[in-house]
Order: sequence, then C-alpha cells, then structure tokens
Amino acid sequence: MRTTKEARKTSRQLLKLSLTDGKLDEHKVNQVVQSVLTEKPRHYGEVLKDYQRLLRLEIAKHHAVVESATALNSNLSDLLVTKLKARYGDDLTIEFKTNPTLLGGLRVKLGDDVWDGSVRNRLRTLQEQI
Amino acid sequence: MSTILEELETTIAGLKADTARSNVGTVREVGDGVAKLEGLSDAMLNEMLEFPGGLYGLALNLEEGEVGAILLGDYKEIKEGSEVRTTGRLLSVPVGKGLLGRVVNALGQPIDGKGPIKSDVSYPTEKIAPGIVKRRSVSVPVQTGILAIDAMIPIGRGQRELIIGDRATGKTTVAVDTIISQAKLNRAAEEGKIKHHTPLYCIYVAIGQKNMSVARTIDILEKAGAMPYTIVVSAPAAESATNQYIAPYAGAAIGEWFMDNGMDALIVYDDLTKHAAAYRQVSLVLKRPSGREAYPGDVFYLHSRLLERAARLSEKAGGGSLTALPIVETQAGDVSAYIPTNVISITDGQIYLETDLFYQGVRPAISVGISVSRVGSAAQIKAVKQVAGSTKLDLAQFRDLQAFAQFGSDVDPGTRKKLDRGQRVVELFKQIQSNPFLVEMEVVLLFAMQKGYFDDVPVDKVKDCQEKMADYFRTRKEDVLKAVLEKRAIDKDLDQQLQAAIKDFKSFYKPN
Repeated sequence: MRTTKEARKTSRQLLKLSLTDGKLDEHKVNQVVQSVLTEKPRHYGEVLKDYQRLLRLEIAKHHAVVESATALNSNLSDLLVTKLKARYGDDLTIEFKTNPTLLGGLRVKLGDDVWDGSVRNRLRTLQEQI
Repeated sequence: MSTILEELETTIAGLKADTARSNVGTVREVGDGVAKLEGLSDAMLNEMLEFPGGLYGLALNLEEGEVGAILLGDYKEIKEGSEVRTTGRLLSVPVGKGLLGRVVNALGQPIDGKGPIKSDVSYPTEKIAPGIVKRRSVSVPVQTGILAIDAMIPIGRGQRELIIGDRATGKTTVAVDTIISQAKLNRAAEEGKIKHHTPLYCIYVAIGQKNMSVARTIDILEKAGAMPYTIVVSAPAAESATNQYIAPYAGAAIGEWFMDNGMDALIVYDDLTKHAAAYRQVSLVLKRPSGREAYPGDVFYLHSRLLERAARLSEKAGGGSLTALPIVETQAGDVSAYIPTNVISITDGQIYLETDLFYQGVRPAISVGISVSRVGSAAQIKAVKQVAGSTKLDLAQFRDLQAFAQFGSDVDPGTRKKLDRGQRVVELFKQIQSNPFLVEMEVVLLFAMQKGYFDDVPVDKVKDCQEKMADYFRTRKEDVLKAVLEKRAIDKDLDQQLQAAIKDFKSFYKPN
C-alpha cells in the first residue's frame, strides 16, 4: 500500500520531534510512539510505518558496516573503531562482517556512502579501464 | 618491440584503482522498466546508476529518501534488495562519422550486425540547447528535392519543420525522400559535379515503430545509396518505453556532434506522438501526477528541449547546423489535439499532409493552405524565389475558385485562366517516391509554369510533358542547367536561354 502524502508529512514531523541536537533520542522516540498510539490520528498505521522507515534510515546514518574477506584481528578492528569514531562522532555504532567474495581489503558502508577498498572492486575498476 | 613495451607501460601507469567513495542504495520495488530505490542520497538528476549485472538505469525522480529510475535494458535479473550505486556520469552515446551507414539503438550500440562502432567520442544525451549568442539566422536551404516543398514551403539549415498528417498520408516518405536527396547532393559534391555544397548528413530516429517499417525504410535508403550519409537510431515498438523515450535525445546528441564540428546535419524524429506516449507510460509508472490526456505536466518541455537543440551556429561557434524534421501523427485530421498543438507551436512551420488529397492521387499530399514555413524565402536560392514567388498565390486562388466553379460551368475568362493554371500546378507538384529533383531542374520546371508554357498542355499530359522536358534539359541543354546552378539567379541572359530552350522543346513535343 502506498503511503499517503499526509502520512509522510506527519512522519517527517515526528522524526524531527525525536531528535535532540540533531541526534536520535531514544526517550523521545518512545514518547512519540506512545502518544501516536494513544491519540490515534488519521492514517496512524501508515504514519507509524513511514516513521519506522525514517528511523531505520536515520539509524543507518550512524551505523558503519565494515566488511573484510577474513576476520580482522583485534588490533586492526580497534584501530578502525577509534578512527571512525574520531571522524563521525562517538555515537557511531560499528558492525564487523566477513565476506570472502571481497577477496581482500576492506569495504566500509556508512549510511548511503561506501568506501570500497576491496580487491574485488579494484579488479573491477581495472577491468573497466582496460 | 620497444615501442610496444613503452605504450604498455604508459597504459599501466595511467590505470587507477584507488579506493573511492561511492553512494549506494537498494532496490525497493522493480517493474515495467522502472525501479524505486532507497538511499542514494547523493544521486543527481539524469545520472546513470549501476545495477548488478552491468545494467544501467537513469535517475528521473529524486524524492526525500527515494529515487525513481528507469532501467536501460533487461531488468529481469534485478531483485528487491539489490545494491545500486551512483556513477557520477550522465547517459551518453558514441558520436562521430564512424556511425554513418550504421543502425544503432537508443544507447548508441550497433544493431545491424556490422561489428563494433569506431568512435572515441561520446556526447551526453541531455544537453542544453545553444543560446542566442551562438546562433545566427537560417539562410542556407535544405534541398528536399520535393518540388512542392522547395517552391512553397522552403526549409533552411537549422530550421525545425514539422511534418504532420493522419496515418498513411506519406509523412515518412517526405522525410525519407529528403534524406535521399541529401545523399544524392552529397555524392555529386564529392564527385565535383556541384560546387559550393556543404554535405548534409542525416539521422533518422525511429520511435515506437514496427520493426518491419524500420527495416523497409533502411531498405529504401540502402537501395537509393543514401546509407553512407545516414545514421539510423531505432527504438521500435518491441523495445521498452524507456528506450523509446531516450532515442530522440540520443539522435540529437549524434547530430550535435556534426553541428559542433562545423558540419551540417538533418535529423528526422519519426514520430513524436509515439515518443510522447512512451514518456507518458514511464511517467505514469513513476507515479508522476498526470494532466490532460494522462500526459505528465512536462510533456511540452519534453519536446521543446529536444527541438531547441536544432540550430544554426554563428561563424564564431563553428558555423554548423542541425535541422530537425519532427513527424506527428494526427487522428482524423485533428490538429488541435494536445501533442500536435504543442509541436506546432514549438516548430518553425509545418507541412500538413491530407488524406483526401492522398486518395485523389495528389502525392505528396501537401495541403498548401495550412502548410507554412516561418523562415520563408530566406531559405531559398534567388532563382527559386524568382520563379516560385507567385506559385503559392496561384494555387491558393485556385483552391478558392475551385469551390465556386463547382456551382456553375460559366466562368469569366480570367477565372477560367486561374483555374486552368491551378490544375496544372497541382499536376506539376505530383511526384513519385524516392525521385528527388535537383534544384536546377526545379527552377526550369517552375520557370516553364510561371511563363505559361504548360498552359496549352492538356491537364492529364502535364506530367508527361514535364518528364520529357526534364529529359530534354538533362540530355540536350546541360549547359543551361549548369548556368542556372552557377548563377543561382535568373538574369536577362539566362531568361532568354531558358525561354529559347523551352520553346525548342515545345516545337517538337506532341502529347501522346
């Protein structure tokens, strides 16, 4: 079912209410959800669904996924955590994954941005150039 | 051997495989050649997006948290959740002389089985049209080789002339004949037979047509020897609506290369009604708000931005030109429908083809009354201006009087003379397919008509007389034809030569 324009507008307003200093506030999110469920405004089901989607995208902006061909040793992973947090703030959550198809190197995804330093990507870039 | 090694070394040195930031998103839904994508916060309008499996898409709708993209190819492998990344590039097609004689699809890939295209330059399909500073007025004619058009509705290089009419009235034929005429002139110029002729390269864009029709057109062009100067961009009805939507822009990009490099090109969009329908389909699937006849709000801009790319550039900007001949199909002669009125208002004139005339045997079935070229006689050589000036008036008067003459047989001699002349002009303008006239022959025929040399020929013998007169000039009066071409204007001396030659022909011509 397509979300109505009105529901999307409301969900965007709810997201704005859930932020403190531009960061997602868990307490405020709970308050927002509770008040929507008690007041039940028009299309509240759609509003909550779209609000959930916006929350997911907002959380993804502060969640980094680090992929490597083999598991990283603790030294390297700690270094990565320190460097990423220094650049993107302390509220950044980091998840480590292994993906053998990368062949080697690292691939870091943060929100919609990807830094792909994997061997697979480098080979593909070379292939495109040749 | 050492040079090969050096070349290899430079190639390897030029290769880069650094870690670069890219913007990604995921497919939320896909279908009907369109994908809805989540993420891609940095995507630009009209940017190419890379899907898994080497498939590309074009970002058309940028919304908060969502991107609507059209897919340029087989999208059956795309699944929900597939990763998509931005490329930072705009959709572009290969351009250059390497495309001449080839048939390509909307992405500029060859579809004629003649191997890869030799081209190292590519142009973006969407480009802003040249501004007013870079342009100059239209003054060089496009010799269509169709007598009625060259005499009454002249087309200039850089002009946009619409060909409009119902189905099966000969719209494509007019366009194809124009292409054939250009090929003949180009070849004659290459062989040194005509001077002061800048070659005019042609691009034929087939949108939403039957494959059979496209194959037939290519066959006609090949048989007439026009393919070496022509590029065919084909997005037939079997292709997706997205490819049909892109095809005219790809064709325009190919034409712009000729224009930017100081050459002249002519582009035929066959036809824009189907292009608008393809765009309507894409827009509806993208869930854009629809307006009149369910077309989206920007359907005018769709065609205006395309046709504005036709231009004649100033000497400073290279002096090239791109002439556009868009084709629009009407339903039951209704020119006031949405797309026809839009395109009429954008173009610099229209050639209106009528079903009634077509079935009366007047072919090309050009309706003189409502066909117009806003560039006018600026796009005619002086000789044609001198002999064709009164023809349109003669024909218009004939059409008026024809209606009156039907009510009574008794008409005064002046009116009778006008009716007789009109009937003969109509006959003279009848022309068989793929048989363009050279400009000097057009001048001779129009001169003979203006001076009344056809007046004593029975109406049903005008065509026969015209053919024999043309033969006579081609075989026995080549010097007069040459003089017309060289002088490009009829002076006293040439007038006498022409009159003497026609009188000589008339002295032995007997209608059989």
